[in-house]
Amino acid sequence: MSRDVRAPDLAYDDPGEARVPELSSIIEVELPSGDVTAVMRRRFGASDGLRVALVAGIRGDAPEGIRIAHAVMRFLESYEEKLNGIVDVYPCANPLAAHRSSRLWPFFDVDLNRLFPGRSGGHPPDRVAHAICQDIRGADQVVELRGARAAFREAPQALVRHRDLDAAKLAAHANVAVVWRRRPGPAAASTFAHQFPGTIVLEGGTGNRLTAGIGEDLSDGVLNLLATLGLVGEADLPFHWAGLRRPLEVDDEQVLRVRAERGGLFLPAGEAWRSVAAGEVVGTVVDPVTGELREEVRSPADAHVLAIRELPVVFPGTMVARVVTP
Amino acid sequence: MSVVFRIEAPYRGAYELHRLTFGNGEGPTLAIVAGMHGNELNGMHAVNLLAGALRVVRPRGTVHLFPLVNTFGADEARKRWPFDDHDINKAFPGDPDGTVVDRIAQALLEASDADVCVDVHSGAPHVRELPQVRVPMSGDELALGRAMGLPVVWRRPGERLGGTGLIGAWRAAGRKALHVVAGRGITLDTGHSRTTADGLNRLMAHLGMGHAVGPPATIADVTRSEVETHRADHGGFFVPEVRVGVNVEPGHLLGYVQAPIGGDRLSEVRAQRSGVVMTVRAWPMVHAQELLVRVAGTDAG
Repeated sequence: MSRDVRAPDLAYDDPGEARVPELSSIIEVELPSGDVTAVMRRRFGASDGLRVALVAGIRGDAPEGIRIAHAVMRFLESYEEKLNGIVDVYPCANPLAAHRSSRLWPFFDVDLNRLFPGRSGGHPPDRVAHAICQDIRGADQVVELRGARAAFREAPQALVRHRDLDAAKLAAHANVAVVWRRRPGPAAASTFAHQFPGTIVLEGGTGNRLTAGIGEDLSDGVLNLLATLGLVGEADLPFHWAGLRRPLEVDDEQVLRVRAERGGLFLPAGEAWRSVAAGEVVGTVVDPVTGELREEVRSPADAHVLAIRELPVVFPGTMVARVVTP
Repeated sequence: MSVVFRIEAPYRGAYELHRLTFGNGEGPTLAIVAGMHGNELNGMHAVNLLAGALRVVRPRGTVHLFPLVNTFGADEARKRWPFDDHDINKAFPGDPDGTVVDRIAQALLEASDADVCVDVHSGAPHVRELPQVRVPMSGDELALGRAMGLPVVWRRPGERLGGTGLIGAWRAAGRKALHVVAGRGITLDTGHSRTTADGLNRLMAHLGMGHAVGPPATIADVTRSEVETHRADHGGFFVPEVRVGVNVEPGHLLGYVQAPIGGDRLSEVRAQRSGVVMTVRAWPMVHAQELLVRVAGTDAG
């Protein structure tokens, strides 16, 4: 189903002077109460160049990705005439989950990012997954915009498939701290990123939060990706390339999980992306009742802290940090 | 009763995985797991009914019962492990050095080492299921599932062979594994629990571990193509006109979808074949394409 919709709050301030980019619903889901929720796509450009798809909000607890999509759209609104190609932005793939700030699609309690490629005859989340895949099919480059998991604070990072060297090379232009070439886990086949070879996943910050600087860094990264792909002129970028990060490229062997051995409250010892020496304390676990120290959690290697736990309650075995070794 | 796994919890008593073991140790070993999902109560009750019987008559062989795996979830009527909202049944084979859910899964898999294993679930909170065993299309597990004599035997290709669930992990470990579903999540249905406990008892009798309490109660033994599935044409308020276990003929009114505001009848759902109603939606608010009713055909062959 496709239906043209005009949304005044997303239009130009003065539509008389510029064309309103096409805003369409790629699927509308009828709710039991009679309401309708739609997954929207905003298309910029109309030339014969490359088509890039930017997808945010597959999980409802990742507003950072939605903010990145907004920032990129703000730039493209004033750039569309010069855009060399098409950029399709899907600002929120899971509107009902975003509505209540939850990771999962409500009622069915399912993770949309475990349902791809979806089914046209399935339940609503299945049909949404299917509609998104159908709409994106044929795109030359797909970028998924995420926030971090709600329990962690994460440095800006790009995730690509471990053997996809071309995607890793491109992701190096995304203004991230790390490009992580990641082996697929057991659930990979049903994730969005797995459906389109070369997909780059950008994430950072904290779930259900907007972190100062992270959204700006990653939206700059997306624009720089568009410039690298030739859709945007380098001279037209609102920043100088020299100010962008030079990321560390790592594989799974260089990414180490650090776990608590005791249950209690985890108190982080510092921010994401600080350097730690082998044996250095990354945080402590204290007794939740008395506040007494139970454990000092230490880095297993000389490393950078890629993710640090924000949510303090931990069990034995809970991951409290992820560190990367150069 | 023994504690086969224990892990400290930050704000409450430690989590403990309990196992009840019965038998004389001379014969086959059977493991029965329930309550992996904390909001599925019928399995817990069925296993506890069986435990009551086994305290009176000691079985031949060994029976390991795990009446409630996800105690923390059950305390909150939640399917998943409450701390991180993970489904224990997606954490197998588990990891002794992993997250708490990984560790529970690994401990359960290890502690349920048996020749035959049964994982008992309820339906989701929004559907009620006639007690049924879901089995592969052929082989020993089909024979074992049929021996339970539950109202429905549902043969499904590739039934839970892979993935990260307990059934798949048991099978990967070379054990015979059965997947039982009865009633509805969140609620206790004592009749379905009793039916399930009787099926477990018949399975033990089939394995030579005891004596059956009654004849098989199987009404339908079906494949997917013999199950008639009705889904909603559109969103609305579903009103069932049947309950699970009712025999129906073609044309029988199974329920209808009406407008949630005003009550206009939008569509009717009618049986297309003879059979027994095996699934009925319990939560009336439905989206388009959602499951309303399943009828297990009794007119095949």
